[in-house]
Amino acid sequence: MINLHHYLVASAALFVIGFVGMVTRRNAILLLLSIEILFNAANLALVAASRYLGNLNGQILVFFSMTVAAAEVSVGLAIAILLVRHLKTLNADEVRLLKW
Amino acid sequence: MNWPILAVELALAALALIVLALDLVWSREQQERLGAVTTVGLLLILALWWHQRGASGTGFYGLAVLDRFAWYMKGLILGASLLVVTMTREFLRRLPGPRGELYLLLVLAATGMSLLTATADLTLLFVSLELLTFSLYVMTAYVRTDARSIEAGLKYLILGAVASASVLYGIAMLYSQTGHTRYDELTLHLMTHPPTPAVLLGMLLILSGLGFKIAMVPFHLWVPDVYEGAPTPVAAFLAVGSKTAGFAALLRLLLTTLQPLHAQWTWVLAALSGATMLYGNLAALPQKNIKRLLGYSSIGHVGYLLMGLSSASVLGTAGVLFYLLAYLLMTGAAFLVVVAVSQRIGSDRIEDYAGLSQRSPFLAAAMFVALMSLAGVPPLAGFFGKFLLILSAVQGQLFWLAAIGAVNVVISLYYYLLVIKQIYLRPAREDTELTVGLPYRFVLYACLAGILGVGIFQRPFLALATTAIQSWF
Repeated sequence: MINLHHYLVASAALFVIGFVGMVTRRNAILLLLSIEILFNAANLALVAASRYLGNLNGQILVFFSMTVAAAEVSVGLAIAILLVRHLKTLNADEVRLLKW
Repeated sequence: MNWPILAVELALAALALIVLALDLVWSREQQERLGAVTTVGLLLILALWWHQRGASGTGFYGLAVLDRFAWYMKGLILGASLLVVTMTREFLRRLPGPRGELYLLLVLAATGMSLLTATADLTLLFVSLELLTFSLYVMTAYVRTDARSIEAGLKYLILGAVASASVLYGIAMLYSQTGHTRYDELTLHLMTHPPTPAVLLGMLLILSGLGFKIAMVPFHLWVPDVYEGAPTPVAAFLAVGSKTAGFAALLRLLLTTLQPLHAQWTWVLAALSGATMLYGNLAALPQKNIKRLLGYSSIGHVGYLLMGLSSASVLGTAGVLFYLLAYLLMTGAAFLVVVAVSQRIGSDRIEDYAGLSQRSPFLAAAMFVALMSLAGVPPLAGFFGKFLLILSAVQGQLFWLAAIGAVNVVISLYYYLLVIKQIYLRPAREDTELTVGLPYRFVLYACLAGILGVGIFQRPFLALATTAIQSWF
């Protein structure tokens, strides 16, 4: 029997995968991809909890968060394009005009 | 629905649409007037805000509230927006290309900030946080021809997205354990049920996401780079606007909804407050770039503000509200000077401020007052704010934190004085006079009058801050 617990564990695993991606990947596109995984981890937990608890708040929030994630990536891709145009690279490590 | 609850936000959204429409319709020459349109619009909204004083209520099915606290914070945010519009008008004068977007994004960010103060539901918390953050991402990368601006935008976006995701995941954790997203229902649930590990994890994730917004150690890594790379008015907006909104969300969340978990978060915040103060002020010492210096100093100021929050008392919270007002005035004044100077000398390096007192006695004096207030020299606004926050730590038996706070006043005085030494004691390399326009001068005078006024006549402002948060205790 699959219950809420399993979904939460799966979403936690997704969150960890996304986070590891953020830390290890250096390509701007892959970083944006990892961000999507992080958002979807939260979405999965919200939808599962919403279904399990029988109230719709979580699912409503997921609608907003999907829109937000899409907007986030479109801004991110726009910046990635600027990056390629001006610095001819997508590697976040090579972008270091400012000190870290 | 109770529309008047969000009257200020609706007006801001309407202003954003007006700016957008005018930007589309107007020719390039006419677009020069967009700054004036935005300023007038914000002034009208400020009048609307003043008209709403003392109003209260909830609306939008419990999503939003208007109370004394939200009213106070909205005032700070509108003030910050007005200061930033003034800087933006000055900034855009030297920048070729389209200009409407920056005003549009600025008003949109202000809408998000304002909504954040009125939030009474985790859904609205997330959405308004994102509205504000997205506008700031684009604003940070606004100077498309400057690689530093793009780099700052990328860094802010990547780190900001992780923070957003952690807020969302934290919300999901709280929701999966309690089944509620509305603040009042969450409070009731948390009061009657002992916290599960998932609830505590959710709280920590939301705290870390909001900690990113306000630049709390260890979520501060983006601050110096983004402040240096972003257009200066945007850096100012990050400092005074984004921080105020972040604190508004944090205060309401911690002191109302998460009040039942009070024992779990106060010590976390106290420890982070000490770390934030020490890091911000020590790292500011070797800085050569004025924007970077102000970035690090803003981290230090967050440490002071967290000190008031971690004591979780009436005095501490009122101190936070008072200090946010003082911080708005003094950081606003400092950035006004930085924008004016860097527009004219084309540099942000502190050594290029040498002899500013000969080239523009007015800007030099304004910078002197702003930095002295930031350092906490009496009788300026910053002094009384720091005094209240340190007092609240003492009152909350956090003596070690109060001691760190006091030590940091001395550290910060050192690097602010280094800037003042350049301005007053070093000879100028060029002797061309730097003049600023009358409206700009007027806004700067208003900030300076505020710094002195709030510092000397603290009582009405402190009373305002105290009534804003009284209902929570």
